[in-house]
Amino acid sequence: MNLATFTLLIPAGILFAYAWRRGDGSHRRGLAKGGRTLLSVLPLLLLAFTTIGYVSVLLPQEGLQNLMGPDSGWRGLLRAQGMGMLMPGGPYVVLPLISTLYQLGTGLGATITLVTSWSSLSLLNALWEAHFIGWRFTLIRWTLLLPFPLLVGLLAEAWFGGTS
Amino acid sequence: MRDYTILILGGVVLLLAGAAWRSGGWELVLAGAVGGVKTLLLVAPLLLCAFLIAGLIQVLLTQEKVAYWLGEGSGWRGIFLACIGGALIPGGPYVYYPIAAALLRAGASLGVLVAFVSAKNVWPVVRLPLEFALLGPRLTVARLLTTFLIPPLLGFLAQALAGRQVEAIRENLKS
Repeated sequence: MNLATFTLLIPAGILFAYAWRRGDGSHRRGLAKGGRTLLSVLPLLLLAFTTIGYVSVLLPQEGLQNLMGPDSGWRGLLRAQGMGMLMPGGPYVVLPLISTLYQLGTGLGATITLVTSWSSLSLLNALWEAHFIGWRFTLIRWTLLLPFPLLVGLLAEAWFGGTS
Repeated sequence: MRDYTILILGGVVLLLAGAAWRSGGWELVLAGAVGGVKTLLLVAPLLLCAFLIAGLIQVLLTQEKVAYWLGEGSGWRGIFLACIGGALIPGGPYVYYPIAAALLRAGASLGVLVAFVSAKNVWPVVRLPLEFALLGPRLTVARLLTTFLIPPLLGFLAQALAGRQVEAIRENLKS
């Protein structure tokens, strides 16, 4: 068992123990809920990971490193921000893909820009937002947020970029 | 929504398999698929933990509970609570946007609403285990630290710069 699995087992254990101690069957319902979610996204996960397999064998690593690698500078971060906005889909699809891009040579800052841009500025999400709350709200939130993915990437590169 | 995602993703896989076939024949088609499944198996224990955590949080913390403690706050306190509520609330956009709309109807300010949505986007407690599983501890911690101030900051900025727009936004809500 690796460190990451162990780190996730701790909160899982604490939550499970807490749910169990409530004595109202929460622990069983939580397990069932997690299991159902996993089963319902399993086809999606399989497809997402197959995509990853192909991206890994097809994508020229040098090209990716030039585009968004650790030495690609603010241009690389800008590309990551644009790419994040266009990434469609929820975490089950997008996070595995981003993790592959990271392993193939995308820089730390660019990867963080990518995650931030996808999760807060995704165009698909903006459609949901405009539908439920209205374009005016979406426009305000979007405009204010626009510089942040890039800034966060710069900050991450400055703070954490050197050590690996 | 999910059905479309599956179709689109299925199409992408076929296109990529086609590209692999053109550049390396069946061997590369197989290599890509096997590589993908191997990666999935490698992170499978982590995914199991991540889904277990997500399931338990969703059972222990209902959306009604979050909306209940967000209803009363305003100003500083409201934005702060909205950040926590947004971070904790489970579910996709079709869950939290209707809740945001309900908060708006109940009288929440623009700052509260922006803080809520931003916290859901950058500090999502239910998504974090998955992120940790797939991107690793270093990247997850670096991302959390660098984006830590975004939800409250954006809430205050929105309130200060465009707070008066909230009435127009409220009026346009579909009832």
